[in-house]
Amino acid sequence: MPGSDALLAMLPEHLLLGGMIIGILCALGTRTRALVLPVSLVVVAASATAAFWLAATGVSAEPFPGQYLLTPDRAAAKGWLLALALPVLLMSRVETDDFQYPLLVVCSLYGLALLPSAQNALVLFLGLELLSIPVYALIVLSFRRPQAAESALKYLIMSGAGSALFLMAMSLLYGATGSMSADAMEQAVASRDPLAQGAVLLAVASLFLKGAVVPFHAWAPDTYEGASIPVTAYLATLSKAAVLVVALRLFHGIVFAGAMADVMAALPLVSIVWGNLAAIRQPSLRRMLAYSSIAHAGYLFYAFLGDPVGREQAVLFYLVVYAASTLLAFAAVPADGDDTRRDQLDSLDGLFRRNPLAAGLLTVAMLSLAGLPPLPGFTAKFVIFKSVVAAGYTPWAVAGLVGSFLGLYFYLRIVMRMFMEPGVATDGSAAPEPAGPGVPLARLAGVLCLAATLGLMVAPGWLLARL
Amino acid sequence: MGESLLLNLVLWLPLAGALILMSLPRVADQTVRGITTVLLAIQFVPALLLYGAFDATHTGLQFATDVPWIRDWGVAYRIGLDGTNLLLVLLTAFLGPLVVVGAWTAITSQVKLFHVLLLLLQFTMVGALVSQDLFLFYLFWEAMLIPMFLMIGIWGGKRRRYATVKFVLYTAFGSILMLGAILVLVLAQAGQAAGAMSFAFSDLLAVPLPAALQQWLLAAFALSFAIKVPMVPLHTWLPDAHVEAPTPGSVILAGVLLKMGTYGFMKLGFPLFPDAVQTFTPVLMTLAVVSIVWGACLALVQQDIKKIIAYSSISHLGYVMLGLLSNDLAGIQGAVVQMVSHGLVAAGLFLLVGMVYERAHTRELAAYGGLARQMPVYALFFVLFTLASVGLPTTSGFTGEFLVLLGAFTGAWPQHLDGNQLPLVLAVVASTGVVLGALYMLRFALTFLFGPVKAPHDTALTDLSRREQAVLAVLMAAILWLGLFPGEALRKTEGASMAYLQQITTSRVPTDAR
Repeated sequence: MPGSDALLAMLPEHLLLGGMIIGILCALGTRTRALVLPVSLVVVAASATAAFWLAATGVSAEPFPGQYLLTPDRAAAKGWLLALALPVLLMSRVETDDFQYPLLVVCSLYGLALLPSAQNALVLFLGLELLSIPVYALIVLSFRRPQAAESALKYLIMSGAGSALFLMAMSLLYGATGSMSADAMEQAVASRDPLAQGAVLLAVASLFLKGAVVPFHAWAPDTYEGASIPVTAYLATLSKAAVLVVALRLFHGIVFAGAMADVMAALPLVSIVWGNLAAIRQPSLRRMLAYSSIAHAGYLFYAFLGDPVGREQAVLFYLVVYAASTLLAFAAVPADGDDTRRDQLDSLDGLFRRNPLAAGLLTVAMLSLAGLPPLPGFTAKFVIFKSVVAAGYTPWAVAGLVGSFLGLYFYLRIVMRMFMEPGVATDGSAAPEPAGPGVPLARLAGVLCLAATLGLMVAPGWLLARL
Repeated sequence: MGESLLLNLVLWLPLAGALILMSLPRVADQTVRGITTVLLAIQFVPALLLYGAFDATHTGLQFATDVPWIRDWGVAYRIGLDGTNLLLVLLTAFLGPLVVVGAWTAITSQVKLFHVLLLLLQFTMVGALVSQDLFLFYLFWEAMLIPMFLMIGIWGGKRRRYATVKFVLYTAFGSILMLGAILVLVLAQAGQAAGAMSFAFSDLLAVPLPAALQQWLLAAFALSFAIKVPMVPLHTWLPDAHVEAPTPGSVILAGVLLKMGTYGFMKLGFPLFPDAVQTFTPVLMTLAVVSIVWGACLALVQQDIKKIIAYSSISHLGYVMLGLLSNDLAGIQGAVVQMVSHGLVAAGLFLLVGMVYERAHTRELAAYGGLARQMPVYALFFVLFTLASVGLPTTSGFTGEFLVLLGAFTGAWPQHLDGNQLPLVLAVVASTGVVLGALYMLRFALTFLFGPVKAPHDTALTDLSRREQAVLAVLMAAILWLGLFPGEALRKTEGASMAYLQQITTSRVPTDAR
């Protein structure tokens, strides 16, 4: 019966919806506003648990045939994405004590939760828009800073352009094949029809734009710089993950060949190289991580060169590792000083002497992002490049590996700043850590991410077997 | 069974120690040093027991542990000892406590962090040596960089940031290409094993590979290992790293880390791609001999006392490479002994240099003179280690270099009769390295110890303390033991050396493609 299927299979989404409504009700009263964050946390945790439970019990259902399909694999992917939202919520209190932030994140997560199950390009579009629209508001939330408006506008325009490209691609696809399912995409990739090829090209361009792959990347550093740290964390991790999930669904089971394969290899490669090189010169933490995310988008899209069989596993594993490490970095950045000070990389000078814990956590995050063994960032890169080599694109894989080597330098620079620079004079009168309510929560977020990072280091096989 | 547990203890004890040290909130510096020494001394005991229990008549892996780790890829936690890594594991465990005690006063700031890193370094080095799984090996191989990076960068000299970044970028570049080669190799193996991937050395060593592919893969592996050795012309990171590193860092770098490169060649690089090795032998052998001679020449003209020893390491490790490529059992065994010998001698020399640097705070050779009169005990030890470095009979240096050269000539002779003169010429040139070695070490000792008394900064130099004497005496005893009684060590490594020789001389090009 489709009704009960929809109830069960969409349980994570329903929980999020319920959370949104409770959150809005809480936000109405001045006294209950403080409850929005705990409610959001509980709801997201419950929703992730529901997704894992669906995966564990092996529920397969298609409540809306041709539109929405739940399989254990997809439920697991959904669970991991939602679980990664917990640190994002936890670290928000350092920057904003608004109730809007958690509420908007939960709204946005609803869109994210739809994506892994989408069977049809329109559902994908719906999910992506549901995810993006609250983010525009999230960026403007930190309107205290002059760049925020510029940043939000840039994101709005570029993301809008991306959506327009996506819609155009879908209309061409529909025109060429009469359908908007993943199968139609497969036909379009294989066909010689210019209409269908245009559809594929536009779809790829729109995903590259939203995922910030060179040459569609320029919005990312400006947007990240303007947004507040928790929002940047959300943009860099889950919002990026959403784009990749869309790509996975849209190109499910599709092997790229010929000129299209060259595009799918060349642009991500340029992205890896340029992201890693440009990051070296950035004085701001957020701009640096923006370029880092551009490079990581390159690695992620590299996986589409490979064999479609292992692709989802590789991309999802990479996403979880990348998101956990990036969130660890954002959570560990010490909260002393105002937002502008926090963003300057030279505020990290000599951090180890002042705050060894934060320095240690940031080091783990940086080394993992750099892909240095034994941290899980390495295993994640290994999965990706293994699939690229297995698909016979060995020269591209070697070029990508060399590109990833270029990234080593700027990550190490952060570690050098923290351990090897004298830093500001610490004559005991150093500014005491602001003891706001947000700091312990951010610390909890850091511990969660650290646990995930170390867990993935010790037992990568456990996660790989479950994706 | 019990003995494989001992090997696990040797591997994991330093990591456990690092975690214990990290968890101690506030501890006195002396306590940190004491705990580290005790831990590393405890690590040495099982390593020694394993050496004693190692069965020389058995060629395969001993004390092995094999537990699946990442099942999807056939990655397993495979560790074990064979004749190749036996002596190096013993060397690593032996040097561990000596480094801490020998450099007791060299590190004065952030002592806890330093010893945590030291223990982590020890863990990763032993890990890289005992791994029998390529994935595991690569993890340890790369992870070694992180503690060393911080060690040089935090406690190093004036140009430490430059030196440490250079060190990491050099070695990481080699490794990244090796990673590509590993992927290709493993997928080739999987292709022949009907898709079942495996990273076990034993499986990978049986994969037939076309000759052209072998050459590419060997090039990638060799780049990574040759940077680590280091072989000329990839050596330029070494003098910088050595000069800027703090004393214990230099000791570990010279004592163990450099051997990782030659060990990598012997364990993986050459046996994996035997046909490519035969093709590349002239090039690699020439580079080895160039390293011997050029390293010695550079050591001859240095004005910085640490650089002299750094360049001498390049020269000494050239012998190891020459021995490995000699296609002769004596040469290979000589290479194995030379690795251990250089570990002991270079560690002793870097400790000696560090001790005098602590007193006088300068590395300028010209600032010193007549140390023998101010520090007679120091001078005695310095002369002893100098002679060991030169390769005086009765020291381990002699055993190693003599066997290598013997092997080089024995291997070259039949080729000479066949009309190929290159190996013989190379062997002759390599022999001049022995003379050059004597020249630069004696020049060093002469200006350093004898001549008019010079006291840098006008400080009176105090002679060695009991602690320093004890450390150097233990090292010297090991050098003499390996020089006078090399029999047992040679016997225990003979099986592995023969297996290595057989591997690199057996073609693995698939029969249909030959």
